[in-house]
Amino acid sequence: MTGPDVETDGGLYATRQKIYPREIAGRFQSKRTITVWVLLGIYYLLPWFRWSGRQAVLFDLPARKFHLFALTLWPQDFYFLTWLLVIAALSLFFFTALAGRLFCGYACPQTVWTETFLWMERLVEGSRSQQMKLAKAPWTAQKLLRKGAKQFLWIAFALWTGFTFVGYFTPITELAGLIAHFSTGPWETFWVLFYGGATYVNAGFMREQVCKYMCPYARFQSAMFDKDTLIITYDDQRGEPRGARKKGVDPKSRGLGDCVDCTMCVQVCPTGIDIRQGLQYECIACAACIDACDEVMDKVGYPRGLIRYDTQHGLEGKKKHVVRPRTIVYASLLTALAIGLVVTITHRDAVGVDVLRDRNALFRERADGYVENVYNVKILNKDSAAHEFRITGSGLEGLVVDYAGPTVWVGPGEVQGVPVRLRIPGDELKGGADIQLAVQATDRPDLKAAGKARFIAPSD
Amino acid sequence: MFGTRPDEYPAKLRWPRLGQDAAIVIWPSFLVASVATMVCFAFIDPLLVGNDDSPPPAFASRMTGYAVGFFFFWLVASLSSLLSMYLVRTAHPEPPDNDETKSADRVRSAQ
Repeated sequence: MTGPDVETDGGLYATRQKIYPREIAGRFQSKRTITVWVLLGIYYLLPWFRWSGRQAVLFDLPARKFHLFALTLWPQDFYFLTWLLVIAALSLFFFTALAGRLFCGYACPQTVWTETFLWMERLVEGSRSQQMKLAKAPWTAQKLLRKGAKQFLWIAFALWTGFTFVGYFTPITELAGLIAHFSTGPWETFWVLFYGGATYVNAGFMREQVCKYMCPYARFQSAMFDKDTLIITYDDQRGEPRGARKKGVDPKSRGLGDCVDCTMCVQVCPTGIDIRQGLQYECIACAACIDACDEVMDKVGYPRGLIRYDTQHGLEGKKKHVVRPRTIVYASLLTALAIGLVVTITHRDAVGVDVLRDRNALFRERADGYVENVYNVKILNKDSAAHEFRITGSGLEGLVVDYAGPTVWVGPGEVQGVPVRLRIPGDELKGGADIQLAVQATDRPDLKAAGKARFIAPSD
Repeated sequence: MFGTRPDEYPAKLRWPRLGQDAAIVIWPSFLVASVATMVCFAFIDPLLVGNDDSPPPAFASRMTGYAVGFFFFWLVASLSSLLSMYLVRTAHPEPPDNDETKSADRVRSAQ
């Protein structure tokens, strides 16, 4: 597996040479381009969408609530996020088992932004050979201009990316106004630069190195692979022995396979590998080599598909199985989790209550013979409308609930803290007892919640 | 199935060792720190940290609390990654685990 240009004795301090992937058009590259547009379109436009008077998708960290269209999530709903992450991970497993590294080639942010940065590079510096020539050329005004223009595009785009990212956490219209007046807060400025800087470095310079050295998925995705997983593969039975030939010569008469050894598949590869050496973990399944090879096959008049999407079984000429235990297990788990999530979210309690004991005093013995405990009751209204709530207590004989009532108004998606005094007759309890505090909306009796608390009385 | 190991990768396309080391330490700890920050602050409101009896609270604002928490987690996770990487890098190389050496060992122990 060692090529001629491998330094076997270490090469520890060898610096990486930049890869200049040759641009290639073809059916898979068109699909990738569409995916890039759709994904980046969603990313850059989503924060600008509005939903009933607020930003549709806003992770409002200062207020500790997440808005997702009609849905508002609270820290208490954290497990939904975990749930969602589990679903995302399982989907990744499922698609990996089915079609290999589909995610890497089409949807991974690293790929998507690298593609975009490559386009900008091509726009300014031209084709692969022009880029390589420019890199070797001495620093003239012309080179400075081109390199400068590229950096300008890259930096502007990276900053816009960072701005959009922060726009998911700070209302983006406000943020745009702040930026226009150069008056963003320190953290907003910092995160715009942090995320923008990361985009610039990752997509502009690190590129395929991220996949090769930093990505855990690249290393463990083979665990999801089996002989029916779609991979990008070179048909070496058909292609070998490879070699150049004149047009119109029957390769069989020369003892040659279909590979004309044009190395187009290597030149277009963004990670700089040779797919003809077999499947390698550096391969991000972008299918550029398929498009390149198909084009060459068309030119020399051989059938397409010397490099193609296929499975190991397919290559061996065996039957392919899309439905198999592995995909069935992943798919059914995924369906169950997704249905569960939807059901839980639609049936989740619209009201929450949190009862905190006042920390300053355990209890107070009043002149009228009652024992009093003080609590702070937090009412959480997750509903999309405002409601008036009534607070009631239970669990002790003669319990009196005293608060600035008779009802407490809580706006949609808001929390209201209410100081509540609970009293019982002095002879009712020695020591402590558990009590319950319940809240209920006056206009919607089904909107209710209860919280437990400890009531403490003198023990003698 | 995955023939080319990173050290067999054409040297001209390889990152310098120091770059690899930095990436191995910084990146996984960044991922772990992101998750840790989410979990931590789902349960803890930064404004309530250190605010038990005597104001002022530990953090001026929630955003400061989140940021400090994130970078703290990143630092801690980086230290752990750094140690792991150091231990892996400085370990004696494992003998190749193939049938040949195993049978050779067996022959040796039988003698």
